[in-house]
Amino acid sequence: MFTPMPRIQMPSTAMKGEVFQVKALIGHQMETGLRHDSEGNVIPRKIITKFVCRYNDVDVFVVDLREAVAANPYFEFYLRATESGRLEFIWEEDGGGVYSLAHQLMVA
Amino acid sequence: MPEETPATGLTRRELLLTGAAGVAIATIVSPASASDDAVELIERLTGKTPTESDRLHLAMPRTFPNGYTVPLTLEIDSPMTESDHVRHVRVLAPRNPLIEVATFHFVPQRSQPRVSTRIRLAEPQYVLAVAEMNDGTLLMTKTWVEVATNGCA
Repeated sequence: MFTPMPRIQMPSTAMKGEVFQVKALIGHQMETGLRHDSEGNVIPRKIITKFVCRYNDVDVFVVDLREAVAANPYFEFYLRATESGRLEFIWEEDGGGVYSLAHQLMVA
Repeated sequence: MPEETPATGLTRRELLLTGAAGVAIATIVSPASASDDAVELIERLTGKTPTESDRLHLAMPRTFPNGYTVPLTLEIDSPMTESDHVRHVRVLAPRNPLIEVATFHFVPQRSQPRVSTRIRLAEPQYVLAVAEMNDGTLLMTKTWVEVATNGCA
């Protein structure tokens, strides 16, 4: 079975107040539920429904995804470096699957 | 399984059944009527009337060979202070089988109202972005994208 692989690209250090870029990608087919298999049966929907970026336990960027987000959902977004700590990235999937990654950020 | 289908997961078919305005959306997508149709659609989804604004920038290629991974960059001019910020931005593709694409939530002082991603488009259409500001007002913009192949099939 295919296991979605999340990936994050972000700096490990930043100046206080600086805006930094985060790139978030998860390998996922984003099956829309609109397609049929060769026998005419609907292929059930299985998409990532939510992406959350948490910075020291505070939600700082959230996406609600629908079927029209392309396969292997990719987001490039921008955060302000407020303090050193932990950034957690969480992807929620139809059916209750959850995938996550964490990164440390040192703010000088 | 669709047990978690959100309440706002409107299909184009449902919209068509809700009235003549819906028919206009699906049948006449010309530059002259697109704005009116977009406003009607957003009113239908949110119950509020959006204002077209040049504070929203929705950058997408005007033509793209396939509808499976069309790049999209969204940026909103906002100081992102407690008293003046963007709460969230909804992206809609009115001529997709399911018109909702994604909603991006931003946080004042913490995230910039700017994001890039890749979306699916079923056919050439106006893609809409609707921003809800902290005072509850809706701002919108749209951009025409011509795709050569159906990204939703």
